[in-house]
Amino acid sequence: MTATTEIQAPALNDSLLDSVRRDYFSSVGRTILTLVCLALILSALWFLVNWGLVNAVWFGTPEDCHKAAGACWAVITDRYRLIFFGLYPYEEQWRSALACLAILATVILSCVPFFWSAKRLPVLWALGYGLFYFLMKGGVFGMPVVLETQWGGLALTVFVFSSTVVIGMPLAIVLALLRRSRLPVVSTVTALFIDGIRSLPLLSILFTAAIILPLTLPGFLVGDKLYRVIIGAAVFFAVYQAEIIRSGIQSLPAGQEEAATALGLNYWQTISRIVLPQAFRFALPPTINQVVIAFMETALIVILGFFEITASGNAAFSTGGWKPFHTEVYSFVALIYFVFTYSLSMYGSYLERSMKLGLR
Amino acid sequence: MTTSALAIEVDGLCKYYGAHQVLHGVNLTVKPGEKIVVCGPSGSGKSTLIRCLNKLEEHQQGRIRVLGTELNDEIDNINEIRREVGMVFQHFNLFPHLTVLENCVLAPMLVRKIDRKTAEEQAMTYLERVKIPQKAKNYPGELSGGQQQRVAIARALCMKPEIMLFDEPTSALDPEMISEVLDVMIQLAQGGMTMVCVTHEMGFARKVADRVIFMDQGKIVEDAPPADFFDNPQHERSKLFLSQILGH
Repeated sequence: MTATTEIQAPALNDSLLDSVRRDYFSSVGRTILTLVCLALILSALWFLVNWGLVNAVWFGTPEDCHKAAGACWAVITDRYRLIFFGLYPYEEQWRSALACLAILATVILSCVPFFWSAKRLPVLWALGYGLFYFLMKGGVFGMPVVLETQWGGLALTVFVFSSTVVIGMPLAIVLALLRRSRLPVVSTVTALFIDGIRSLPLLSILFTAAIILPLTLPGFLVGDKLYRVIIGAAVFFAVYQAEIIRSGIQSLPAGQEEAATALGLNYWQTISRIVLPQAFRFALPPTINQVVIAFMETALIVILGFFEITASGNAAFSTGGWKPFHTEVYSFVALIYFVFTYSLSMYGSYLERSMKLGLR
Repeated sequence: MTTSALAIEVDGLCKYYGAHQVLHGVNLTVKPGEKIVVCGPSGSGKSTLIRCLNKLEEHQQGRIRVLGTELNDEIDNINEIRREVGMVFQHFNLFPHLTVLENCVLAPMLVRKIDRKTAEEQAMTYLERVKIPQKAKNYPGELSGGQQQRVAIARALCMKPEIMLFDEPTSALDPEMISEVLDVMIQLAQGGMTMVCVTHEMGFARKVADRVIFMDQGKIVEDAPPADFFDNPQHERSKLFLSQILGH
């Protein structure tokens, strides 16, 4: 080998201190801005720690809370069963807890790639939802019957949310494919349906499902209000998700379907093996977004008389002298929502990272 | 499959995009084992012609018979022809979410219904033939253009087709990678495969083609053995085309 001059990369001897100085204190303006923001953050933290931890009351009565200067977490420790389980009979609440775990486990397992097949997912869902239903409703193995009207709290919220997505997602795929149909009648009717539902507010759809449908449907089709509302929410979710999937399909180069066709794959093989797996990768960020929206919108069913977690939170502080401590209850409910939403978005970014390998 | 003396018969083929006619009564026959190179200026209908042969494009008039099967609206006929006709595209069109090996076993398993183990063994032999077995576990995005095109050829071969169609297989490649793809195609031609190649690689045409077909404005202008076509073109349009692509 001939002698080559080695070219050194410029040394990156940036210590933490140097980079902090450069990023936050490089000019007078920046220094002032940094100090102001720092003061705001610190004072907010100071207040939160003092209110939420140092001066907080963890157990006791409303009277104990009135004496203290900090947060009244006693309302949570006293009323947590109402928040989690709503009006579900007190002695049977272990069933609601187990049912909630069953649904959570189903949702978490559905997120694992191992289960993503047309054979495994339906089995998993049938087991998870079957378990939830029998635990909640009872009437078997000596468990007393608990009617849907008494279901509530976290179990109800998670049930409504996951059912909306589990019913809505396959429906969305069907709608997206129908809208791409080469038959003009099919694609036009589907487009009208999607745009028609999208022009309605979710609230009006839920009201229609809960109150108007029973007047028009034959008796044996009515079912419980809860299931009608879930179908309504699922259809609403599906029309938005259908457009997200369609946008994903359209991001595919035309050559992908052509190559599959030329290899002799039929329509369903092409759709299930080539088109949808890639379309979902393209559509992943808006899909996660839509799922988070579906989760937040479960709170709307409270106006139809359902005792989901926001409503049961409301109930938790409205009696027994806990009234002044609504901030604590709402903070707690908000924390539960945050845990769900944040897990969903962490899952989304995990999927994005693990799928990137295939698409470079 | 009915036996036929001809691999491909095209008779009076007309193709329109809306009101615009792109093929004007094309006639073409290809015997089993024959290697045909189709060339011509851009927009002359050469890609459309070979895309009609496995019905990626629908024709409006004329008849196409492939391996004795009529290419009409009958789905069974179309499927039978697509099983027996492999195609290689200008932009490779590998499936980016599947590994090289999965790209190669997908169609044999789904369409030919052979089990995974046999399909994988067979895929490895074809990947070895295109000299890329070491990339079997990689994703297409990790390969160079030339490597991707060789995988695309192997993927088509895994269906054990009777006929291979090549639609400008080297046009999207960097100059350095063209020869690795052409080498594979030459090897395939020497193995006796029936091939129809749309390409501007005149060296390849001279070396392996039995006939060169020159198209212009949706018609076949000249159909001759390569020696005649290159050294003694009959038509003004072919002479002009050759002088333009060979002239510098």
